[in-house]
Amino acid sequence: MDAIASGALVTLTELNQSSPYFKQGASLRVTGKLVDYNLVTAMAVIVDGAASIQVDTSLLTIHFRVGSLYQFIGELNIEPNGEGTLRARVGRIVDGLDMNLYQQSLQLLREHLPELTREGSS
Amino acid sequence: MDVTRRSHAKLLALDLLSLSTSRGCFYRGEMLVSRVETVGVVVSRSVKPGKLLFVVDDGTGCIPCVIWLNHETSPYYAKHSLPSVRVKAQLSRDFASLAQLGVVARVRGEVKGYKGSNEITVSDVVLETDPNAQLLHWVECVQLARNCYNKLSKNGV
Repeated sequence: MDAIASGALVTLTELNQSSPYFKQGASLRVTGKLVDYNLVTAMAVIVDGAASIQVDTSLLTIHFRVGSLYQFIGELNIEPNGEGTLRARVGRIVDGLDMNLYQQSLQLLREHLPELTREGSS
Repeated sequence: MDVTRRSHAKLLALDLLSLSTSRGCFYRGEMLVSRVETVGVVVSRSVKPGKLLFVVDDGTGCIPCVIWLNHETSPYYAKHSLPSVRVKAQLSRDFASLAQLGVVARVRGEVKGYKGSNEITVSDVVLETDPNAQLLHWVECVQLARNCYNKLSKNGV
């Protein structure tokens, strides 16, 4: 199987134009509440706090329900106007996800990953 | 001490993919790792003759996994009793049907090397429907690494 890039864990509030994650083609995993979905274009908008992102869901076959929490993994496409759109390759509904715990766990993970490199698995 | 050989080590993908090999065995530092457990999203799935290949993304990396589906034709199982082979084959087919694109799965199995990369030869798959299961796995991996595996890695087990 061809190598697949892991979706980097990033919150929407971190995903601004000055973020190191905001790169053309970057593989990301984003989570947010669905506030808008266009059946014709298959474009979804998810929000997390004051931040939002458009998600191209044309590759997905999941059911969409405005107001529910969703998580998508896909690649970032940066439009000519500088806005980012995530082209999702997988997505799931994550109603019940504790977003505070999610952010704390993410922080813990980010603190730990450099330890792995320092400890060295070899 | 044989604890690491018989239990499934909960490892982040970054950790699992970085395991070193020596004489066919896998090591995390000095700690022998034989069986592993991961939780992540199935991001790729490919049916091949006699096996299912899929990839689990846990947020720190992508782990290739394989479920063998050739029990009834494999010479390895020829010496096993037919009813037990059939049970094993059915179990493998059931696990393979669970590993669909986009689901979060808890995958356990033996770590193997294939073409220079580490992968999991799957022994079981469980679907995780609670969205907080992934967070729990991250926290458990970090806690185990800090409080157990790093100590075993230093002392050699």
